[in-house]
Amino acid sequence: MHELGIVMNIAGTVLDVMKEQNLTTVQKIVLQVGELSSVIPSYLHECYPAAVDGTELADTVLEIEVIPGNARCKECGEVYNLLKQKRICPSCGVDNWDLVSGKEFNLKEIAAC
Amino acid sequence: MDEFKVIEIKKSIFEGNDRKAEELREDLKKRGVFLMNLMSSPGSGKTTTVMRTIEALKDDFRIGVMEADIDSDVDAKTVSTSGAKVIQLHTGGMCHLDATMTEQGLTSLGTEDLDFVVLENIGNLICTADFDTGSAMNTMILSVPEGDDKPLKYPNMFAMVDVLIINKMDAAEFFDFDLEAVKERVFKLNPDIKVFPVSAKTGEGISEWTMYLKNEVKNWKEI
Ligand SMILES: Nc1nc2c(ncn2[C@@H]2O[C@H](COP(=O)(O)OP(=O)(O)OP(=O)(O)O)[C@@H](O)[C@H]2O)c(=O)[nH]1
Ligand SMILES: [Mg+2]
Ligand SMILES: [Zn+2]
Repeated sequence: MHELGIVMNIAGTVLDVMKEQNLTTVQKIVLQVGELSSVIPSYLHECYPAAVDGTELADTVLEIEVIPGNARCKECGEVYNLLKQKRICPSCGVDNWDLVSGKEFNLKEIAAC
Repeated sequence: MDEFKVIEIKKSIFEGNDRKAEELREDLKKRGVFLMNLMSSPGSGKTTTVMRTIEALKDDFRIGVMEADIDSDVDAKTVSTSGAKVIQLHTGGMCHLDATMTEQGLTSLGTEDLDFVVLENIGNLICTADFDTGSAMNTMILSVPEGDDKPLKYPNMFAMVDVLIINKMDAAEFFDFDLEAVKERVFKLNPDIKVFPVSAKTGEGISEWTMYLKNEVKNWKEI
């Protein structure tokens, strides 16, 4: 299961931060997930409680911010959403772009003490 | 009760794995072990291509194979008939391998007496692309029956691999497979990619692939 492995990566990242910053209790974890990353937020929410059960993160709340998959057209500079526009630039009609955002998978912040 | 404060972190979740992978790659480089991460959809011909590759290079290198199929050890049994050193990785239902799992696999394989190790990754084109395994080369197999539009559907994978092997070319005419269209789509996503059309069944194109691979392994061991 993809999301289970990913939650283990999240937990690892959070535990590293706790150690670095001498934190004892985490209340909330906020992630940023890009539309074009391989992570599916609803699956993540679903398997999160099971994955952290019995660990230091057992009672944490998981929040996910979705980042749009945006591109900048190399012909005309228009910035547009790749999924909504089916990758084609809405202003000049070409499929030639640089990715601006959407592949993120970040730990944005945590609430902890 | 203590007040919770919000702490901004902005750290990639993949960063831990990326760091681990980099360490593993450096360690393998020092020890002269070339690791190839082989990815594809299920049934594209990974095992058949690995058999052909071993056959071509077994006099040049000492070869090991790690099979990461989810449930069975059928592929490991097949590959072990080639004379290469083979292990089956138990992935516990995961759909990708990360650097830690790869390192554990390498430890149980034992790499002291090996020059070249193939990791037959789990058959999945989506998330295997996100996890650096520590390999020296990322290779993907696309097979003709999967269709020439795959690069449009899985751009992440095509953008990250070093080599694309297009397998089952013997069946191209039955599937209206347009090789030039695939190349065009792939080069657009990844201008540096090397593309090798082959048939693991007939052996067509295999020597171009293995000659290239042989050079890459040699360079890795020498420089
Ligand atoms: N026509 C044709 N068939 C091939 C070729 N290469 C492999 N096959 C067949 O495709 C099927 C799958 O091949 P495998 O090598 O087992 O593929 P795989 O990617 O290892 O499969 P999994 O490990 O199950 O994902 C087998 O029936 C092979 O005989 C080829 O070049 N041409
Ligand atoms: Mg196989
Ligand atoms: Zn445009």
